[in-house]
Formats: sequence, C-alpha cells, structure tokens
Amino acid sequence: MSKIFMFDALRAATDEEMAKDPTVCVIGEDVGHYGGSYKVTKDLHSKYGDLRVLDTPIAENSFTGMAIGAAITGLRPIVEGMNMSFLLLAFNQISNNAGMLRYTSGGNFTLPLVIRGPGGVGRQLGAEHSQRLEAYFQAIPGLKIVACSTPYNAKGLLKSAIRDNNPVVFFEHVLLYNLQEEIPQEEYFLPLNKVEFVRKGKDITILTYSRMRHHVIQALPALLKEGYDPEVIDLISLKPLDIDSISISVKKTHKVLIVEECMKTAGIGAELIAQINEYLFDELDAPVVRLSSQDIPTPYNGSLEQATVIQPSQIVDSVKSIITSVKAIIT
Amino acid sequence: MTLATVARSVAARAGNVWALPTLPLLGGGAATAVWGRRRAALQTVPAVNTLSSPSAALSETKRPAHDTADTFDALPPSVTLPLSTGPLSVGTAATGGTQQMNLFTAVNDALRIALETDESAVVFGEDVAFGGVFRCTQHLRDAFGPDRVFNTPLCEQGIAGFGIGLAASGVTAVAEIQFADYSLPAYDQLANEAAKFRYRSGGAYSAGLTVRMPCGAVGHGGLYHSQSPEALFCATPGLKVVMPRDPVRAKGLLLASIRDANPVIFMEPKALYRASVAPTPVEDYELPLGVAETVVPGRDVTLVGWGAQVHVLVAAAARAAAEDDISAEVLDLQTLCPWDVDAVVASVKRTGRLVVSHEAPLSGGLGGEVAATVAADAFLSLEAPVKRVCGWDTPFPLAHEKYYVPNVERCLEAIKDVVAF
Repeated sequence: MSKIFMFDALRAATDEEMAKDPTVCVIGEDVGHYGGSYKVTKDLHSKYGDLRVLDTPIAENSFTGMAIGAAITGLRPIVEGMNMSFLLLAFNQISNNAGMLRYTSGGNFTLPLVIRGPGGVGRQLGAEHSQRLEAYFQAIPGLKIVACSTPYNAKGLLKSAIRDNNPVVFFEHVLLYNLQEEIPQEEYFLPLNKVEFVRKGKDITILTYSRMRHHVIQALPALLKEGYDPEVIDLISLKPLDIDSISISVKKTHKVLIVEECMKTAGIGAELIAQINEYLFDELDAPVVRLSSQDIPTPYNGSLEQATVIQPSQIVDSVKSIITSVKAIIT
Repeated sequence: MTLATVARSVAARAGNVWALPTLPLLGGGAATAVWGRRRAALQTVPAVNTLSSPSAALSETKRPAHDTADTFDALPPSVTLPLSTGPLSVGTAATGGTQQMNLFTAVNDALRIALETDESAVVFGEDVAFGGVFRCTQHLRDAFGPDRVFNTPLCEQGIAGFGIGLAASGVTAVAEIQFADYSLPAYDQLANEAAKFRYRSGGAYSAGLTVRMPCGAVGHGGLYHSQSPEALFCATPGLKVVMPRDPVRAKGLLLASIRDANPVIFMEPKALYRASVAPTPVEDYELPLGVAETVVPGRDVTLVGWGAQVHVLVAAAARAAAEDDISAEVLDLQTLCPWDVDAVVASVKRTGRLVVSHEAPLSGGLGGEVAATVAADAFLSLEAPVKRVCGWDTPFPLAHEKYYVPNVERCLEAIKDVVAF
C-alpha cells in the first residue's frame, strides 16, 4: 500500500492504461506541456509525446467533437474539461453525438470515450466555474455517469472507464484533488455500475456522492455520539443508478436521506427518489428527504457560497429529524 | 420602425433626456405604442383592432383545412380556462370574441400582438423572414419590416447570445430556435449567461429574452427533430420553461412569456401546430405563468402531463372510465419551471394516486422531479407509488417511434396499476 493524492491516483490510472494500450490518448486544454491544471496529466507529455497528450485551443465544442470522431475510428480518447462547467459548450457534441452515434450507426460505431474533469462548488470560483452538470447529463441517453470521491475509487473507476467501450462522463471534484489515501500497489479495477458501502448501519440509509460523501463522514461523530447508526452509501454510479444495492439497504433501514451537491430541482435526488418510491414504496416509513444545494447560481461571496451547499450540521439535524418523526409515528 | 429608432429608444431607456418616441399603432388605431415589456401589459388595446377583427384576420391568416362557415358561425362567445387559481374567461364578445386558430396561427397572432404593442420587440431566428418552417412567423416581416423580423445565420449559440445581449440592453428579444434538438449548442449561452445575468449583476441587468422552439415527437422526426429537452432547462435555475397544449394556451402563454422579465424557454409541440385547432380569443390576453390547469376533473387518480402528452392522458382517462369505471383527473402543468406544486399536491391529496407522463426519456426527466416532490409533500396521502410513463432511455428512434412514445395503452396500464396497487 502507498499513500497517494487523488490527482496522483488519477494520473497513475491514466499512465498505466496509456502504457498498456497505444490507442489511449488524452485531449484537453493544458494537459500536455503544462501537465494539467490540476496535475492529473503531470509528466505524461514527456513520456508519450504531443499526439497522445494533446494540447488543444480553448474550444471545448471542437475538441470534444474531435475526440468523438477519434473514438469512432479506433482510438480511446480521454477528454479533460479544465472545469466540467466548460463542457456545457460541448453539450451538443456530448448529447447528440457521443450519446447517440452507437445507436444511429446501428451498432457499427463504438465510442470508447471518457470525458473527465473537476466539477462542483469550490472556493469562490464563481457561478460559471461551480457547476454541477450531473443533473443535466443524467437526462441524456447513451452515457454512463460516474462520480469518484476518494483516491482509491478514483483510480479503480478511471481504469474501468478507460477500458469501457461506452462514453463515460467521469466527475471529479475541485476540492478533492488533495485528498490522500493508502491504495494498493497492485492493479485493481472497480465496477462502473455499483455503489460503495462506506459504513454499514441500521437506522437510516444515507445516499451521497463526491464531496458530500466527506460532509456525511464529518457528520458521523455527532450522530454516533447520540446513538444513531446510519448506513452510508456512496452512489458512485449516477447513471445507471444501482437500485439493487440501494434496495438491500432500504429494506433494512426503511428511511432514506439523500445528500447531494447538485441543485434540488431535477437533480440526481429527484430521479433517485422517483425510483425508490416506485420500487420500494412499501418499505418506506417516512418520505425520502433530499438535502441539495440551493436552486441558484453559485455566489462568489464566500459565506454565501458556503450557505448554498449542504454542511455537516444540516446532515446531523436532518437524520435526527427523520428518525424522531418515524419514532413518533410508530410509538 | 428603424434600427435608428431602436437605438434612440435604447439610449432613452439608459437615462438619456430625450423623450421616448411614440408611434401610431399599425392599422390606424388610436392607442399609442409604448416602450418595453412591462408597459405593454399595462396599456389598453382597442377592443377591436383592425388587424385582429374577425374578417380582417380571416383574410390574413391561413384557415385550417377543415374549417367551414358552419363551424365559424357556431364559435362559442368566450373561452373559460379552469386554472388552478380559479376559472379565467377570455375572448368575450366585448373583446372581439374568438376565431378558429391552430397552434401556429395562434403563435403567429401572439407574435403580431407583441410586435404591435411593444416597439422594442424583435423576432429573429433561422428562416423566420419568409414565415418560418412551421409558418409561425408568416406575414410579420411584411407588417413590421426587416429591422424587426429578420433571419440569423445557422448558429444557435449566436442566436441565443445575440438575443441575450439585446435583452440586456432593453430590447424585447423573441428568438426562435428551429427545433428544440438544436438548442443544445445554445445551452451554454442559456444556462451560463441568460440564466445568471440578473444574479451575477446584482440585479443591474437581466436577460429576459424569450426563446421559442418546436419540440416533441411528430411521427417522422427521428433523433434530431423529435426531442423534448425540457428537463435540461428546468434544472438550470434562472430560466422559466413553458409548454402549451393548444392554440388558446399557446397565445396567452406566449404573450405572458414575452412580457415576463425573465428568460423564458417557450416549447411548442410541433405535432400540434396543425392538429390542434380551437376557438381562440382575438384580443390581447395573457395566461399566468406558474399555474396549472385541470383539464378533466376526477377522483381516483391524478394524471400529470404537458404539451401534446396531455391529449394522450385525456384519451387514457376516457378509456379508464369506460373500461374500468376509474375517474381520472388530468392536470396540464403548462409552466414546467416553476411548476404549480400546490395544484398537483392538492390533487394527489384528494386522489391518493399519481401518474406522470412525458415523451422525454425516463431517467433525469421532469417526471422524476414531480414524483419526488409529491412523494415528499403528499407522502401520507399516497396509496400507491408514483408511476412515470415516459420515453425510454435511448435516443429518439425513427423506425421504432411508436414503441418509444408513451402512448394511450401504456398510460392506461399505469393507471390500472396504481389503482390496483
């Protein structure tokens, strides 16, 4: 085992896959000579050269389109969005091309494409650099969506994503790149369509992903001290949702809290709640509660920015409130 | 109305001492044309405008093929809309009565009124000058001139960006994107610019443009002429999203959208452009945004939809009543963002069951948001899980369209499932 930063884990995954398969390449702004704005492609350019670690102009629509073309003609490109927010400019490419070309070609084209980059609310990056696009990509058929949250799952998931023959949108988070964790030295892969059980428990199922996983973990000591026993699940796969694993948990706890960083309206929580209610209607003792970011553009002001995302104290309050309300109904 | 006049008006609005220019209404009406969206709502329009009197309108607009003199004579004196906030009557005899219109004629009429009553209003998009690929902008360029109704290049990002700039400078911008499927290149402009303008300028600017786009299945549209991307716009805070189901709602909602100070995405179900015909008020009227309508009252289950899907739900409700004696209530959201949560929750608290239906794919669709909100707000009233009957999670097919769209049979099955739960 060795201790590693998240950005390094992602770099190691990319490096290992590029070493094994000459068709794997990276395309993005400042990925080459500069080494990546978050150092995820550090030193790869000197190792693999200009064409395999390709610096592009600031033209997301164009280089995403280029990567899609490369993917259908035999390469395995990894597109880096310097910030996921910028990929809105490539939305048509991702939705109408990447999502559809396998279908429209009757299966003749496969698209082994990874689109990765940092999203989420950072530290005063402003509205256009703090987007959470998972809610929008969720509505696009033909894409897989994954959100990593630790160095361990980042490496395993990115390797699987690169080896997958479908377009995978791989969400990282601006504030998680400096997380450190011990990870195995030997090669490992993680499945793209399964949740990660962070903590087993029996009182309530907390569903979360990305940075909010860490806010939930920060809320745990206060909850454990008061005798609550939450089960914490990191969704990992945002499309398709691993409803089978979630069902196992809900059948045990009968209460669900969703803690997400995307905005409330039409977010990941909305789809999750609709599915949980549809398949697990009789298992629920209380309405599924979703704690989401406010439905507003992210403020630049630091205190306001903090107030738009869910903080650990809100998670503690919500768990207590749900469990207390159910106890009141039952007793 | 020339560009120079517009420029002068913009300067005046920006605080210049020049008085606002006044122009007589086209057609020789006595009322004065006034500046801006908000004032347009306040001004009095003459009861019978020469351009919108029934006989003049008949010669101007294209009558639906099946319209006959008999049908025209038998038009009801007014239209009463069962809004969730209370019934609203429009198109009374005093205000000119009603005229048989289809959806594109109604949209055309609304655009004409907007251009007449707001001297800053402009309509632009691909092919709008000759009348538009769906005839929505026919005759407008002849009536209002090339400076107010004009074509753009084939560049949706540019159309949106240009419209946002116009709107932020005080012009009433009504953009057209030729198909909703093509709105995606404009998505960054709409989500990152239009939606955030007021917020990030601390209220100093707003980009209250209206973007009209035909959406939805049409029988032969395939992947890029059939999409309904309402979920993408609803998930972006700062945008309003509206979808009418017939000409009466289209005209009133479009005028309200154009006059709303916020950016509004106005989605027009293209299958209904010719197929939906109704007696439509000739007057200038607005329907409130954010208010749903009870299309069919019922007791046993609530069906929620929007656009063309409302008609499918009405048919499914009729079948459910005939076959299984189920009384289904049908709600048309009309405004998808912000949607009328109170109306839907109140209905579900009465019926205890909910089916939501939309053409857009199931995952990440607006049905999820409706289901999630109702499951929270009406949890103890629900007798069965909320069912969603939607398009499948694949691209919109060409050959397989009839298996993709949520048709009457699939909706009926969902109704029976929730009632039998």
